[in-house]
Amino acid sequence: MKMGCLNGTTISLSCLKLAFPSYPSSFQNLPFRRTIKPLSAAVQTSPATSPSTTKVEDQGARSHWKAAIDFKWIKDNKEAVAANIRNRNSDVDLELVLQLYDQFFNLQKEVERVRGERNAVANKMKGKMEQFERQRLIEEGKNLKEGLIALEEDLLKLNDKLQLEAQRIPNMTHPHVPIGGEDSSMTTKLVGSAPEFSFPVKDHLELGKELCLFDFDTAAEVSGSKFYYLKNDAVLLEMALVNWTLSEVMKRGFTPLTTPELVRSSIVEKCGFQPRGNNTQVYSIEDSDQCLIGTAEIPVGGLHMDSILAETLLPLKYVAFSHCFRTEAGAAGSATRGLYRVHQFSKVEMFIFCRSEDSEHYHEELIKIEEDMFSSLGLHFKILDMASEDLGAPAYRKFDVEAWMPGLERFGEISSASNCTDYQSRRLGIRYRPLEAPVASPRKSKSNLAPPQFVHTLNATACAVPRMIICLLENYQQEDGSILIPEPLRPFMGGRSVISRKS
Amino acid sequence: MKMGCLNGTTISLSCLKLPFPSYPSSFQNVPFRRTIKPLSAALQTSPATSPSTTKAEDQGARSHWKAAIDFKWIKDNKEAVAANIRNRNSDVDLELVLQLYDHFFNLQKEVERVRGERNAVANKMKGKMEQFERQRLIEEGKNLKEGLIALEEDLLKLNDKLQLEAQRIPNMTHPHVPIGGEDSSMTRKLVGSAPEFSFPVKDHLELGKELCLFDFDTAAEVSGSKFYYLKNDAVLLEMALVNWTLSEVMKRGFTPLTTPELVRSSIVEKCGFQPRGNNTQVYSIEDSDQCLIGTAEIPVGGLHMDSILAETLLPLKYVAFSHCFRTEAGAAGSATRGLYRVHQFSKVEMFIFCRPEDSEHYHEELIKIEEDMFSSLGLHFKILDMASEDLGAPAYRKFDVEAWMPGLERFGEISSASNCTDYQSRRLGIRYRPLEAPVASPKKSKSNLAPPKFVHTLNATACAVPRMIICLLENYQQEDGSILIPEPLRPFMGGRSVISRKS
Repeated sequence: MKMGCLNGTTISLSCLKLAFPSYPSSFQNLPFRRTIKPLSAAVQTSPATSPSTTKVEDQGARSHWKAAIDFKWIKDNKEAVAANIRNRNSDVDLELVLQLYDQFFNLQKEVERVRGERNAVANKMKGKMEQFERQRLIEEGKNLKEGLIALEEDLLKLNDKLQLEAQRIPNMTHPHVPIGGEDSSMTTKLVGSAPEFSFPVKDHLELGKELCLFDFDTAAEVSGSKFYYLKNDAVLLEMALVNWTLSEVMKRGFTPLTTPELVRSSIVEKCGFQPRGNNTQVYSIEDSDQCLIGTAEIPVGGLHMDSILAETLLPLKYVAFSHCFRTEAGAAGSATRGLYRVHQFSKVEMFIFCRSEDSEHYHEELIKIEEDMFSSLGLHFKILDMASEDLGAPAYRKFDVEAWMPGLERFGEISSASNCTDYQSRRLGIRYRPLEAPVASPRKSKSNLAPPQFVHTLNATACAVPRMIICLLENYQQEDGSILIPEPLRPFMGGRSVISRKS
Repeated sequence: MKMGCLNGTTISLSCLKLPFPSYPSSFQNVPFRRTIKPLSAALQTSPATSPSTTKAEDQGARSHWKAAIDFKWIKDNKEAVAANIRNRNSDVDLELVLQLYDHFFNLQKEVERVRGERNAVANKMKGKMEQFERQRLIEEGKNLKEGLIALEEDLLKLNDKLQLEAQRIPNMTHPHVPIGGEDSSMTRKLVGSAPEFSFPVKDHLELGKELCLFDFDTAAEVSGSKFYYLKNDAVLLEMALVNWTLSEVMKRGFTPLTTPELVRSSIVEKCGFQPRGNNTQVYSIEDSDQCLIGTAEIPVGGLHMDSILAETLLPLKYVAFSHCFRTEAGAAGSATRGLYRVHQFSKVEMFIFCRPEDSEHYHEELIKIEEDMFSSLGLHFKILDMASEDLGAPAYRKFDVEAWMPGLERFGEISSASNCTDYQSRRLGIRYRPLEAPVASPKKSKSNLAPPKFVHTLNATACAVPRMIICLLENYQQEDGSILIPEPLRPFMGGRSVISRKS
C-alpha cells in the first residue's frame, strides 16, 4: 500500500490509524494511494512572516542550524511569552510558532508510527511463509518506505519553518526590568560627580587635534568616514587601558584570551545578532560565510559550543581582548563625531558561563567589577537598568554604564553588562552535567546521571577604548590643554602623569 | 570640417598636420570626414596581456587611479628595465608599454594642436567680419570641438590602457641583489647559535597544548582552519611582545600609531598588492570597495597620500601596531601548522618616508634595529639579502630575517625589511619640496621653489607576534615543559620569569 505525502491544513489522523486490510493476491499490483497531501503545501499557504522564509526553502539540502528551544514551555506559558513579546516591542508571530509546533509535533508522531509499521513488516519477514505472502510483505514494506521518506522530508521542512520564526522569540525578562522605551530605563546608582572647570571646556576632538592624538581626515580618504589613526600618546593610552584592564580583571579570576576576529556567520546568529538583516551591524566577507566580529562576546561564546561541561568547571570566566568592527548602519545623530561612533575599535570583554541558578549573582559581580574600575579612574557615571524595549533579543536583563563626557555635555555609554540566561546556550549548544542525579538510587550507573542542562551566559564590557579615551581626555583636561593621567594608568604609561604637547 | 575618431594601428600624423584648405561657400554643408579611425579599435586588436585589461575598458566613466610613472626614464633606460623584468621573472610586456606610451605621447600632442586651432578660431571670431565668414568660423569651431571631444575620449582610454600594463612594471633592483630564485638569496649575517637540548625537543604546538596556551580546534569550528585563540600566558606574552617592541622602537625616534584595518582597495593596489588577483592574500568586504589589511604598511603608506611634505619634516618614522589578515590562498607545505601560517595576527611595523638619497641609509638602520631587538631576545637568526625573483614588485631591495625554530628543525621567517624607493610614493602621490631651488636667483619668488620630488618609502617588521611566540616557546623550553621568559620581556609580564603549568 503506497502512502502519498500529507496534504491539507489538518492531518486526518483517523484514516492513518486504520490497520492494513488483508488483500487477496489479485490486488497485489494495484497501488492504494492514501490521499494525504504534503504538509509542506499546507505550510506554504501560511503567510510568510519574514523575508528570509523563502531563503530557508531555497537552501534545499543544506538546512539552517537549530536552536534547542523549549516549545513545551512556551506552549505552557503562552500568555507570559506573549506579554514579553509585547513589552519588548518585538514583531515575532507567536501564534504561528505555536501552530507550526503543533503540526510538527503531530507529524513527528506520525513519522514514528509509520516507522513502527515498517519495522513490524521487516520483523514479519524473518519468519517462514508462503511465496505470495512474502511478496505482499515486500510490497508493503516498499510502500511504507517511500511514504516514510516523503513524511520525513516534510518534517524537515516543517522544522526549518518552525525554527526560523521561533528563533526570533526574544529571551524572557527579569521581573524588575522597567517596561517601556529608553526613557523608562532606571538609574540604579550614581557615582562620583561632574568635574568643574574654571576655563572653557574642549571636546575630545579639539583636545586631540592640539595634542596630535588622532587623524580622522586622512583615515576618511584611506578607509572611509568613522575610521581613524591614533597617534603619539593616544597609542600609549590605548595600550595602558588595555593592559590595565586585563590585569584588573585577571586579578578577579578571569582567564585571559585573544580571539579570532573573523567568524562563521552562523556563530554570529547563535549569539543573537543578525548578520544579514537590514541595517545590519555586521561586516561580511566576500565569497565566504565569514563575518567580522562586532564584539569578542561572539568568539568567546563559540569557545564552548556543542559541549557538555562538567559542573565542577563552572563558572568559566574569561576576559578577552579583541578589535571589533561595526557598520553602524542606520546610526545617526549629533553624538557620532570623533571617537564616539566608529567602525573599528579595541575592546576588553568579560564573559561568564555558569549554572542557571548563579547567573543573577554573576550579573551583579560583573557590574560591580565595572563600577570598581570606572571609579578608580575617577569617572563620574550612572548605572542604568535598561528598559524592556532596549534589551536586545538575547538579554534577560541589561545594565548599562553611562559616563559624563564634559565636551559632549552629556552622559555617553561606556559599557554594557547582559545576563543572557540560556538564550545563547540553547543556540550554541552549551550544556553542563549537574553533579547530583535527580533520583537517589543504590545502584550507580550511567543512567543515573542527571540530564545535562543549558548553562547561562553573561557578557560585560570591561573597556571600550575609544569611549574611555573620550572620558579621560574630556574629564582630565587642564587649562593649558594638557591631560592629566589618572593614577592607575600611570604605571602602564611608563610612570608618566601627563599628556602634553610634544610629549 | 568634422573630425572623426582616430583609427588604425598607427596614426598617420602627416594628414593631421595639413592646414585647413579654404572652401568655397557651396561646400559649407558637405561634411568632410577625416578617415581616421578610433585609436581604441587599434588597441582592441593588440593581444590582451592580462585578464584585467578588459576590466578597465568596462569601467567606463569611472577610471582607475593613475601612477606617476616616469615613462621618459623607462624609454631612455629600456634595456636596463627589460633586464630587470627578466631578473624578477615578471611577465609584464614592456614593448606594449612603450608602444602605448608613444601613441599616448603623440595623441596628446595632437590634442594640444587641435585645442590650439580651436582657440585660434575663437580669437578670430572676436573681430569684425562679414556674415558668411562668421558663419564659416562658427561651423569650423563646432567641428573642431566635436573632434576634440572624440580625441580626448581616446586619450583617456589610451591612458587607462597604458597605466594598466605600466603599473605592473616592478621596481628597479639594487645592484648588490643576487639574481635568481630563493636559493640565490645570500646570507649577510649570522647571529647567535642554536641552543643545545639535553632532552627531546617539542614543537610549539605540543608545548602550547601542555601549557594551555592555544586552541586551534575550537577556532576551526568557530572561524575556520588557521584561526586560533590565545589563552592564559600566551596572551600575556603577546601583550609583552607588543608593548616591549613599541617601547624599543619609540626610543629610536619612531612615532607610534594604530591604524584602520579596513582600507579602500585602491590603497592596497597603490602599495603594490593585488587585492583581486588569483590567489590573492587579501580579504574583501562584501558590497564594498574595502579590504582587510595584510600589514600596517598599507594604512601607514596611505597616511601621507596625495601630499607634498616640507623637506624639513623628513624623515618621517612611524611604528604602527595593528592586526593583520591574510587569506594565505595557495600557501601549502609542511610548515603551515600551528602558529606558523595563520589568517589573523598582531604585528608591529616600522615605516619610513625619506628623501631618495637617504633610503639606503634608513634600510640599514631598519635592519639594525631588528638585529638589535632579536639579539636582545637571545634568538639565533640569519639576515638574508633576498634574490631578485623573491623581492615582490615594490621592493628595490629586501632583507629577511629567519630565526632558528628548534621544534620545526629549520629557520623560519620572522621579519622582512624592504626599501621601496619611489614605487609606492609614485602611486600614493607622496612628494616633498626640497629646500634649495635648483638655480640660484637674486629674486626670490614662488617660481624659484624646487619642483617637488617623490619620497622614498621603507617598511620593516618589528614584531610578528605568532612567529615570535614560536621562537620563544621552542628556544626557551625547559626539560619540565616550562618556558623561560627572556630578560627584556620580564618587566612587561609583571616581572615573571617563567611560563609553567597552572601559572
